[in-house]
Amino acid sequence: MINDDYFLAALRLAAGNDPIPGHVSATARDAYGLRVPQAVTAAPAERAAPAGVRGTDGCHMIRFVAAGLTFDLEVTVGDGLIDIAGQVIPPPGEGSHVDVRTPHLTLTRRLPRTGQFAATGLPPGWLSVVCHRPGHAPVQTRWVRIRP
Amino acid sequence: MHEPRDPGELLTAAADDDRTAWDELESRFGPRMWAVARACGLNETDAADAVQGAWLRLLEHLHTIRDPSGVGAWLATTTRREAMLIARKGQTLALRVEIASEPDPAAAVLEADSSRLLWKTVSSLNEPCRTLLQLLATDLGYQQVALRLGVPIGSVGPTRTRCLEKLRTLIQLQETVQ
Repeated sequence: MINDDYFLAALRLAAGNDPIPGHVSATARDAYGLRVPQAVTAAPAERAAPAGVRGTDGCHMIRFVAAGLTFDLEVTVGDGLIDIAGQVIPPPGEGSHVDVRTPHLTLTRRLPRTGQFAATGLPPGWLSVVCHRPGHAPVQTRWVRIRP
Repeated sequence: MHEPRDPGELLTAAADDDRTAWDELESRFGPRMWAVARACGLNETDAADAVQGAWLRLLEHLHTIRDPSGVGAWLATTTRREAMLIARKGQTLALRVEIASEPDPAAAVLEADSSRLLWKTVSSLNEPCRTLLQLLATDLGYQQVALRLGVPIGSVGPTRTRCLEKLRTLIQLQETVQ
């Protein structure tokens, strides 16, 4: 029963067993570098294909909305890596770019007039996209976990 | 030596560009978050994801946590929520997760900073409960526990249940008194 498991975990914690692995602590500390000051956070939203649902071809469609911007992300997991094809709507205009981020890797893409972008070969795990537009606060999607 | 900073103070400092405050939050609350994720039945990779997810949520809410001094409990609760979402995706743990979504006082013990109280309470138990729980806390298998206690292996499970029940009652009583 889970509550007993919970209790035993509390005992193990108190006894100093099952300590947090060093790499988990290190990643948590490094996460501080992923702060985007003044950023507005876009929350997941419904779309025609329900958000977060896995299609038959193994791709997830996810939509995030905030501050008049919509992020549509098509996430494909294959060969243990993640590919993203996305679009920022409405197209944010000249001089804008997105950062496609995982805790260990950030890929920057200039946005064309269509607002479309793509990033491939990302490691599985947590992922977020930040849109930077001249004269506006950055807009970041909530972090979403993508695993095969 | 500096006085340890209050969690609320650490959160405010971290929101204000102070990396050392963030590191201090991690060393203060990281171990408990790990225990919470593991208690939800996650393996190491998934537990690491749950803990990391909770820190990323904190980044998203650095300026909007309603009760900054309760950031430790916020992190533990957020870890549990992320852990349950991860477990649910795995489906195999669906049943256990449903039970976990209504945690009893045991969860509160883990999510609050009550390790010392818990350990003190275990020490106050009569035998065989005291030794049994101390052995289980060190991750010994039933066979080892049975050997050390000099009891049949088949009796370890039922005794464990009875001892945890006793511990739960005592903790509840202490919480009522407080």
